[in-house]
Amino acid sequence: MTLHQVSFTVNGKKVSVEVEPRQTLADVLRGQLGLTGTHLGCEHGVCGACTIIVNGEPARGCLMLGVQAEGAEILTVEGASPDEGLSLIQEALREFHGLQCGFCTPGMVMALHHLFSVNTSPTEEEIKEAISGQLCRCTGYQGIVNAAKAVAQRLQAQQ
Amino acid sequence: MTIGARIPRVEDARFLRGEGRYVADLAMPFMVEAYVLRSPYPHAIIRSIDASEALKLEGVEAVFTAADVPADLGPIVCRIPTHGDLSPYLQHPLAQDRVRYVGEPIAVIVAKSRAICEDAAELVEIDFDPLPAITSPYRAIEPNAEPIHEAGNLAGDWGFDLGNVEEALKSAAYTVQESFSVQRHTAMPMETRGLLASYDRGRNLLEVHGATKVVHTNRNMLAGMLGMSEQDIRLVEPDVGGSFGARGEFYPEDFLIPFAAKRLCKPVRWIEDRVEHFGAINHSRDSDFVVTVAADENGIITAFDVKLVTDMGGYIRTHGDVVPSHAAACFPGPYKVRNYRINTKTVMTNKTPTGTYRAPGMFEANFARERAIDRLADKMGLERAELRRRNLIPAEMMPWHVGTESVKRPTIFDSGDYPAVFEKALAGYGWDAPFEREENGWLRGRGLCAFVEPSGLGAFEGVRLEVDQRGNVTIFSGSSNQGQGHETVLAQIVSSIIDVPVEKIAVRHGDTGIITFGGGTYASRTAVLCGEALYNASHGIRDKALKTASAKFNIPVEELELREGAVWQAGKNEPLITLGGIARILMPGNPEFLKPPSDKNIPDHDGLVVTSYIRGVPGGTWAFAVHIADVLVDPRTGETKVEKYFVACDVGRQLNPLIVEGQLIGGVAQGLGGTFLEELTYSEDGQLTTGTFADYMMPNVYNMPPVSTLVLEDVKPEGNVLGVKGVGEIGPSGVAAAIGNAIADALKSNTGLNILPFTPERVLSAVPTVTR
Repeated sequence: MTLHQVSFTVNGKKVSVEVEPRQTLADVLRGQLGLTGTHLGCEHGVCGACTIIVNGEPARGCLMLGVQAEGAEILTVEGASPDEGLSLIQEALREFHGLQCGFCTPGMVMALHHLFSVNTSPTEEEIKEAISGQLCRCTGYQGIVNAAKAVAQRLQAQQ
Repeated sequence: MTIGARIPRVEDARFLRGEGRYVADLAMPFMVEAYVLRSPYPHAIIRSIDASEALKLEGVEAVFTAADVPADLGPIVCRIPTHGDLSPYLQHPLAQDRVRYVGEPIAVIVAKSRAICEDAAELVEIDFDPLPAITSPYRAIEPNAEPIHEAGNLAGDWGFDLGNVEEALKSAAYTVQESFSVQRHTAMPMETRGLLASYDRGRNLLEVHGATKVVHTNRNMLAGMLGMSEQDIRLVEPDVGGSFGARGEFYPEDFLIPFAAKRLCKPVRWIEDRVEHFGAINHSRDSDFVVTVAADENGIITAFDVKLVTDMGGYIRTHGDVVPSHAAACFPGPYKVRNYRINTKTVMTNKTPTGTYRAPGMFEANFARERAIDRLADKMGLERAELRRRNLIPAEMMPWHVGTESVKRPTIFDSGDYPAVFEKALAGYGWDAPFEREENGWLRGRGLCAFVEPSGLGAFEGVRLEVDQRGNVTIFSGSSNQGQGHETVLAQIVSSIIDVPVEKIAVRHGDTGIITFGGGTYASRTAVLCGEALYNASHGIRDKALKTASAKFNIPVEELELREGAVWQAGKNEPLITLGGIARILMPGNPEFLKPPSDKNIPDHDGLVVTSYIRGVPGGTWAFAVHIADVLVDPRTGETKVEKYFVACDVGRQLNPLIVEGQLIGGVAQGLGGTFLEELTYSEDGQLTTGTFADYMMPNVYNMPPVSTLVLEDVKPEGNVLGVKGVGEIGPSGVAAAIGNAIADALKSNTGLNILPFTPERVLSAVPTVTR
């Protein structure tokens, strides 16, 4: 199969990879760039585990083709994590037990990362909307919503 | 004291940073990928398979069919006792000459990439002779039904008959008879299954990553099937994205992928895709009940008379008939009812085989029993909680022997004060508090249920505890972990006994290479069994450390204490020696002998290491729980909204309340999925029609009501040293029952709420015409 050269920025780093036209972006990130934090739960765009940020907007890594990423700015969970320790969002998820098996977690972190990057004081309804496309089988979402509410409070307190 | 502390989990950081290592994140040099070619027919004879064109495709390494596995390879055996002989219904790893469900493995294709495998699959020519498919267990046991197996479609027909049900029914002041149906649905972990197997031919060593749940059991089964020594095979659990009872059993792929790796002498990776998962993983529940409940004029329940039919699917798998077995053994629930009869029929159909899903048999039985009890209360004009109150097993009758057994274990409710917990639950929720019956045209109802939930089952568990020269502690656990939080909870137990901070205690689990025997994780057992083994091992470490320090410093043990990772002499401000120092002394061959060696043995010099195996209590330990919910129902559309949900339970003792609460709330979410949304439906011709997340609906954040919990630690079970009961399955177990009762209460109607899931159509059909 013909390979296509694709160049984009991921987590602030310029990369250039050769991809098959049928490869999804998630497969490129995971298989060729070793960014395995982006998880594949369904590969049909429903579960949200592969949520990444593409050009500032949340996107499903499984519904985009690698060749579509030409020139894009991509952020994955690896890029949304500090060099050491946890981000404010990650710390709150831990504190409020907003994860169990951890498989949906990177997608959840990215969905919340996007929410707080555009809205530092979301309401509970806005939080729910932001994660309404993310399936979690373990937690029942309560800990995740509580964590996000705490993040909103803490961001307010910082201002 | 870290036992009981509400501390965040130590394993969370890696998951949050995307550094979890799940099986699909693993790779090896020269690795090839496998794809399982599955039956598109629910029932067919395989006339021939021609893979010659597929083998010509560039990048294809092999195509394995039933002809390639050893002729004497038997089917995958059942790992637990069954009611009667179910061996005629076991599944072979690859279909031999007949397929019995859509999704049954027929061939394994191995190629340089998964994409090439899928291309090759298109080129495999299979000549099928389709047979009539049977998707209803009632149709399956009709006399003229197409036989799915030679032994007949009725795999099991058994039951219990305790007391005198006939007499009780005859003399009853009230009886209620109702039919209930619990739909086929399943665990659906967010991570699909996967395996990475590699074989070192020169050393004859096989390593399989991606196992979980019962790795030692699976290792032993695999050794038998491959004709290898158990010690030449290592099964390793990576991070695992949920199991909930379904994932980690020995499936066809658990033979096929290692087999392919061994044949090809190359690492072979298989990652299941979601669509594949829907048809391949064990389905569950799928049980119908006819319940007759009888009571005297005082509201004392005098008998349960039950008929149960469970659709087992196309084969019997490793779990055997545990779902109907648990349901039948536990049907009477927390009530002191001595006249109990059940007939159970387990029936084969042309659907995916079944196994356990969180609260197996219990979710089902609780739904049928608790809905029937509400009907009885209504018929008697007795308040619903009051009827239950009059029938709960009193504390002084503990332990309560039901008189049944499941998987050859007697059903014994070991401990608890059910009436006391019941009253606390009612008070905690405000059961009696008045509420608005109507709001903007919606009707509000309140429902409850009471039940018992088993935990801590299984024959044994084991751990090894090691302290290194620097005082770092490692737990090697025979139980496994699929996200529950064992890395934290197990560390808490050790920490509280040897007084080393949780952060300095690593937990290794789910690996046959780290401990000789292991029971695994199922039936909410790890806190109970692994917890006790660890308690003993921790005390072993403590005793060994004190004895060693005593010998070294010539101070009586009684004057020594272990704290802050060191041994101290009472009254002194400086520690005598750290745990790491003790570990150094105890290293084998250390010249600093504590006493002159006799012969060449160095019995005291086997490291600061203790292995502990403990035997399980045959009946396990049972938690009593109450669920209560308020539900709004729109009588015009059948739409429902759960306003609040409440779980009360006595768990003996909490190891970490944060995790207990998480298990309960997450469990309720799964229960709500099974109550309202999730259904594996089949068309009449045997095709699964809800095979994607677009058709099989699971709860999202909007489907979740606020859930509150009341976790009591009133009565400690005596069967385990920590006094704990497992909490993994209390969450889902009562949800359908409580919700069904709440909707019925809202509608003042009892018809139509006996069939799960409660879709708007079904709820609407239950609305009395006068309300509509």
